[in-house]
Amino acid sequence: MEIYLPIAEMSVQWIVILGMGLGVGFLSGLFGVGGGFLLTPLLVFYGIPSGVAVATTLSHITASSISGALTQWKKRAIDFKMAGVMLAGGLAGTGVGVWLFAIMRRAGQMDLVVSLTYVPMLGIIGGIMLRESLRTLRARQTGNAPGRIHPVNHVWIHGLPLKARFRQSRLYISIIPPIVIGFLVGAMSAIMGVGGGFIIIPAMIYLLRMPTNVVIGTSLVQIIGVAIVTTLLQATSNYAVDIVLAAILVVGGVVGAQFGVRAGAKLRGEQIRFLLALLVLAVALKLLWDLVVTPADFYSIGGS
Amino acid sequence: MRRAALLAFLFFASPAAAEQLVSGVSQDLIQITSTYKGSDIVVFGAIEGQAPGEPRARRDIVVVVRGPESDITVRRRDRVAGVWINHDAAKLSGMPAYYFLASSRPLKDIAPQSALSHYSIGLQNLQPDTVHSHHDYEPFRQAALRHLIKDKLYTETGGVEFLSETLFRAHVPVPAGVVRGQYKVEVYLFRDGEVQSAQSTPLFIDQTGLERRLYNFAHNQPFGYGLAAVAMAVIMGWISSLLFRRPT
Repeated sequence: MEIYLPIAEMSVQWIVILGMGLGVGFLSGLFGVGGGFLLTPLLVFYGIPSGVAVATTLSHITASSISGALTQWKKRAIDFKMAGVMLAGGLAGTGVGVWLFAIMRRAGQMDLVVSLTYVPMLGIIGGIMLRESLRTLRARQTGNAPGRIHPVNHVWIHGLPLKARFRQSRLYISIIPPIVIGFLVGAMSAIMGVGGGFIIIPAMIYLLRMPTNVVIGTSLVQIIGVAIVTTLLQATSNYAVDIVLAAILVVGGVVGAQFGVRAGAKLRGEQIRFLLALLVLAVALKLLWDLVVTPADFYSIGGS
Repeated sequence: MRRAALLAFLFFASPAAAEQLVSGVSQDLIQITSTYKGSDIVVFGAIEGQAPGEPRARRDIVVVVRGPESDITVRRRDRVAGVWINHDAAKLSGMPAYYFLASSRPLKDIAPQSALSHYSIGLQNLQPDTVHSHHDYEPFRQAALRHLIKDKLYTETGGVEFLSETLFRAHVPVPAGVVRGQYKVEVYLFRDGEVQSAQSTPLFIDQTGLERRLYNFAHNQPFGYGLAAVAMAVIMGWISSLLFRRPT
């Protein structure tokens, strides 16, 4: 059951690719993350050239995010105003990211930069989420009132100018933090081929203090915008989007995402956050492991 | 280029040789389609001009298939401040993207090292044309050979079979991961450690049908192609949310 990919210029077992799309799609529906941070390494591990993997994963992210976003939209769980503000920052970030990508690739240190930024970032985010969700879970078990998340002192955020009312999120905050978060995530997706949901969701919950129920839908909208623009940039500048590979991933992804959203509806917010925290920490540990463990082969080959 | 000139020289300059080589390839074009998962070509031939009564001489056949030349960048990881990073790199230019060799006996028994490296016969005799490196590139070359052998892009076997005193053939596996381009099928006739006769035939590997059109689309109209990829993803996402709608 092999199929030839015209851009990657290789044959793959399409059933395996479909399975990857399905599995990652399920997680993306469940957590509201695009899943790129899992899918890109999986594809590279399977043998797809990393450039093609990074660029093509974005199509999968687009499709499963749209599928998820439409479901969230029906539940009125999207803050379009917040998504628009973040997207404005995100598109600027994408442009900067593509530029940085070229510089780092010329220096041959792409992998190192990705690992060194991922590990602490994922470690910190995963750690905070794990602690918070465990505390909430324990509080619920012992019958205490579910401990409200104690706002860390974010006075400076509330002191910023350009305040706007985000009705859906029941927030009245400056638009600067969402723009900055959007910008950073946009830059990241261009560099690493990830949607950035695993950064943006914790940032929305813990920095912006958005209600959990609108967070997933809103982050999906921002991710869709960034993924579409980055796909176009990758197609025009690197010719790296493989539409056959994308189609297989997308079919698996959208089906998986639907099941993920169903499964997510049965879980409570802190349970979802607990599982996502474990996943984020696992990825961080894997990257750390690769950085410090003596490699089996000191040499690696790449194209020109 | 250098090799082609040598081959031509050999071919025309040895009319006095008693034996001549005639060879062919089962296919001169391999088309990669959507279901391509590697294929097999057969290189066959005969040694002509051998006097019937002459005792069988020490003759050997070597079949070499070379892919298009490519640049291979090899990076070496070193430990810096506790983490493994890509430290040194060597760019080997002019190495074939694919190399297959079959011989009727082990190479070291067929010809002396000098003759083998002269024609770059044998994996250990493949040398890059130019190298960009700050260090001795030999370990990098060995690493490249190791990886390419593992990916079945480089092969060295003893797979030339003689069907009779003069007829021979070799099966050449072409794996699914080959690059497109012009390949060269070379057949060498060795006698007493020297090349007696040689022949080179081109072999083309190319995509065809839908794959070809998609590849061209991606390269000729990248923006339209990107839009098509986005549209595909958007429509599939939308359809799936319609299909899976469920009264809740």
